[in-house]
Amino acid sequence: MTVIPEHVRAQLKARFELRLTGPVHLTLYTRPGSSRLILPAGLGCATCEDARQMAELLRDAAPEKVTLDVVDTNRDSGRADADQVNDVPTIAVGANGESGRIRFQGLPTGTEFPALIEAVERVSRAEHSLSAVSLAELAKLKEPTEVMVFATPT
Amino acid sequence: MSLANRLALAAPQVRAVCIEANEFPRLSAQFGVRGVPHTVINRGGAFVGALPERDFVAAVLEGVGIPVDGAPGPGGPSTELGG
Repeated sequence: MTVIPEHVRAQLKARFELRLTGPVHLTLYTRPGSSRLILPAGLGCATCEDARQMAELLRDAAPEKVTLDVVDTNRDSGRADADQVNDVPTIAVGANGESGRIRFQGLPTGTEFPALIEAVERVSRAEHSLSAVSLAELAKLKEPTEVMVFATPT
Repeated sequence: MSLANRLALAAPQVRAVCIEANEFPRLSAQFGVRGVPHTVINRGGAFVGALPERDFVAAVLEGVGIPVDGAPGPGGPSTELGG
């Protein structure tokens, strides 16, 4: 299955050429070879193959800026645990070789795909665009804080 | 979800996880997801709907027990903190 058609791939390449300024590191946590069947958690992975294609297309749209690390959670469950990744597929977006703190769990299609593109661009530009007031408030956070956002493709 | 990602970019303490709700029905049920976007802070406090930046930041802080001056707080027009 081709997740992103050719014309979108070309648009993405042109867009990244204009908007990416710094490096972006993607980490795909996946379970290669899993069945596309919906099975109990820990067995199948219906969207892992599509997520791999999506992550590779993001990398291929700007290979000089975007790097991709693929973690097979079957072979390296310790890495997923250490990075606090709960399920697959998960794409983490970060600025360096570490697992990023912006994550997409499940195949990011629909409204999530533009959010993934935006995340790549913002990380590349180190551009959060939050107000000074918001930054002052966020400085009050002293402990790790997880913000889970449930979304749907439609 | 963009705001959550921007928070993660700005604050090293924050990790943003965008979850495809249909793909993880058990997780969605665990957190009582009935509408989207449904935001859960540290697997505790939650709110439904897209909030403006100021209210989103306030909701995250309140979700971890940090009071915010002038925040809409629980019971605001589009927030549902708790659970």
